[in-house]
Amino acid sequence: MIDLDVHLPGIARGDAQAFAAWLAGAELPVRRSLRSFAAVVDTEAVLQEALLRIWQVASKVRADGRPNALLRFALRVARNAAIDEVRRARLVPSEAEALERAVAEASDDAEPALPDPLLRRAIERCRERLAGPPKAAFEARLGGGGQPDAALAEGVQMRLNTFLKNVGRARALLLECLQRAGVAVEVG
Amino acid sequence: MTPEERELAIEQVVSAHRERSGRGEVRAAPAWHDLDAEGRRDAFDAAIVARQLEAAADPDSLSATARAVLARIGRSP
Repeated sequence: MIDLDVHLPGIARGDAQAFAAWLAGAELPVRRSLRSFAAVVDTEAVLQEALLRIWQVASKVRADGRPNALLRFALRVARNAAIDEVRRARLVPSEAEALERAVAEASDDAEPALPDPLLRRAIERCRERLAGPPKAAFEARLGGGGQPDAALAEGVQMRLNTFLKNVGRARALLLECLQRAGVAVEVG
Repeated sequence: MTPEERELAIEQVVSAHRERSGRGEVRAAPAWHDLDAEGRRDAFDAAIVARQLEAAADPDSLSATARAVLARIGRSP
């Protein structure tokens, strides 16, 4: 198993490169852990908030003799952030309690998930086959680093709705291409 | 909500862009509030796929979410 704690000393020193390397392996398992909240909180916002908190407090996290102490800590931070949002959203008590029970029963163990080398090679080939507006939209999102879609759409001279449709088309085309190449992507 | 409006709302939620509140907290995407529970779960699933594709296509294995977080802390590889 990959142990992302190799990056912990660097992150604790404030090294953003070390944090980036940790994020590359930690994001997917932390995102997956929020699945039970998907209908009641915006998990993307919760995830980003949790990852920012990890960066702020990582210097206080100590390795505990088991791999991935920081990832296990991140899972707890993300779930607690989601619970805070659930409480703020004022769900009916039965829904909120059901979610909290699900969280209490959830495991803190998760494996890091770096992109599979096969997937990396296949996506390179599939990207080359994308063309026209779907390609322009996908590449804009890829290089956008979380910029607003309106700005990305303007950059590729598309109306916002056209841009959004092309992002979706590009994803579907890439998935089809990867499927033909026999490369699996976790769907949902 | 028409199927087209739903599709567009899901794509907006899949984006890694999120505004921040005055207190610096990451805000939910406005389009997320427009979706019903099923639409929100579909957006979650689509984001799982999108982030894997982005990370696999990125030289540093970073998704748009990771890039957005690194931009927030003011540093990016």
